[in-house]
Amino acid sequence: MEWSGAGPNDDRAALLPDDTADPNARQMAGFKSFFQYASPTRVIAGRDLLGSTGFEFQKEGAHRVILVTDQVIRGTGLVDKVEAGLTDGGLELAGVFDDVPQDSSTEVVDRCAEAAKEAGADSFLAVGGGSVMDTAKVADAIFSHGGTAREQEGFFLMPREDDGMGRPLDIAPLACIPTTAGTGSEVSMAAVIKDPEEKVKLEVADFPLFPRLAILDPESTRTLPPRVAAATGMDAMTHAIESYVCLEWNPHQDGRALQALRLIRDNLERAVETPEDDDARGNMLVAASIAIAIELGSVHAMSHPAGAQFGVPHGVANAIHLPHVIRFNAVGGADIANRYRDIADVFDLDGAEALADHVSVVVEHLGLPTRLSQVGVPEEGIPALVEGAMGDGTTLLNPREPSEEDYAELYRKAL
Amino acid sequence: MAYFRDADEVYRYIGKLFEDLADDEELAPKFRKANTIVQYQYREPESTITVKLIEGEDGQVDCGETNLEPEVVMSMEADTAHKFWLGKVNVTVALARGQMKARGPVAKILKLVPLTKPIFPRYRAMLEEADRRDLLEAA
Repeated sequence: MEWSGAGPNDDRAALLPDDTADPNARQMAGFKSFFQYASPTRVIAGRDLLGSTGFEFQKEGAHRVILVTDQVIRGTGLVDKVEAGLTDGGLELAGVFDDVPQDSSTEVVDRCAEAAKEAGADSFLAVGGGSVMDTAKVADAIFSHGGTAREQEGFFLMPREDDGMGRPLDIAPLACIPTTAGTGSEVSMAAVIKDPEEKVKLEVADFPLFPRLAILDPESTRTLPPRVAAATGMDAMTHAIESYVCLEWNPHQDGRALQALRLIRDNLERAVETPEDDDARGNMLVAASIAIAIELGSVHAMSHPAGAQFGVPHGVANAIHLPHVIRFNAVGGADIANRYRDIADVFDLDGAEALADHVSVVVEHLGLPTRLSQVGVPEEGIPALVEGAMGDGTTLLNPREPSEEDYAELYRKAL
Repeated sequence: MAYFRDADEVYRYIGKLFEDLADDEELAPKFRKANTIVQYQYREPESTITVKLIEGEDGQVDCGETNLEPEVVMSMEADTAHKFWLGKVNVTVALARGQMKARGPVAKILKLVPLTKPIFPRYRAMLEEADRRDLLEAA
């Protein structure tokens, strides 16, 4: 028998999709009209895992590995431990590419891909922060499918079967060992690379960029300077909060975001104040890896141009902007405020205003700057920042639509 | 079955909408702040519209062949474009699902999305004026 659907007096009518519904209407609760969620990266977390890097990575198809890192990390001795762990597991080290700068560029990515080819590698292992991991991701895409870093820019554009409409083609096995607890790139399908000629950051996102393996071992953040631990930890907190309140929230990410916030609540200040606390550092690695989402909001929209134009470290910029955006968004509607209330509950606080105040206190306690003027942003820089924020893709996902005037006011408050 | 019969129909309605926008004294300067050249490559039917959005320069809309060098390329079915201009497509969802594909500095185009909302009624009115209820009802 064919079901004819619900009639006007049927209670089910309210549960059926409304054909006339505006697909752009804000939906902050209930069963969503659409969402998509994927998290295919195998994560292993625990102590003394670096020695089993090879044992674990061979399960992902790696044989000859190019290790991508930076010179600072290499200088800490961490890379030596990872190399030993690779070869102990029976893998070959094809080469080490340690030329990744703090903000990696298209030129570095192209060189990394070339180095992998010359070394006869068949897989990539990134040991470092966001810049290193994003370099390895995009270099892997070029290594596997050709082209240049510049040509990778875009969303969901990697080669696919069936004339581009089918399953995305795999890239070479990629494993990540993050050395900061914040970016979450080790489990995400996105990468950001600077194009120095165009003075812009290129965004690349597609499913094959999910690393196959992430190894979370507190040993990898043992030498992390407290100020970097604080800034990257605030980046993780911002990922969790923005992913929970953005328009593209979803129930899968909700669970991760709230658990990430519990871990951050209990571990961020400990990890910064007592760097020898392995538990706190390990929990922050886990928090960062479950907080990450590519669906974010106006904090990131404001922080990206602050980084590109004035060199403000990403985590610091997020820490400065976060309380102001919370206040701005929360008065945009009870539905938005309700989601901030969920987050405030995690911190045993009453609502968004208290949450914003609390974030400011945490930032100050961590010893991070609380104002843009403290990190070299002049008032006359605001118009260019506003233009950058308006043009950032995350603006579209912010639950309250910001105007140019709104962004100018938010930057002035943050100054 | 595709909403538009052929490329000429795509140009007659979607192309005309772009041309009207290029002449709009209020909206055109806002769109030109994008400072880019964007090409819309449609499938079913195959058709191409290239739009110059450069601050301080006259607008240009080329339907079909063009001598403009696009910086951003958006590809989608013509049906998706039609539904977008009727206000029935969420761009971020369409990008996530691969219904729209964007190559190049996508942010330059994404920041225009909020500006498009007031244009939806114009597209609808254009189709009503042309007595194309079939297109209005199909989407």
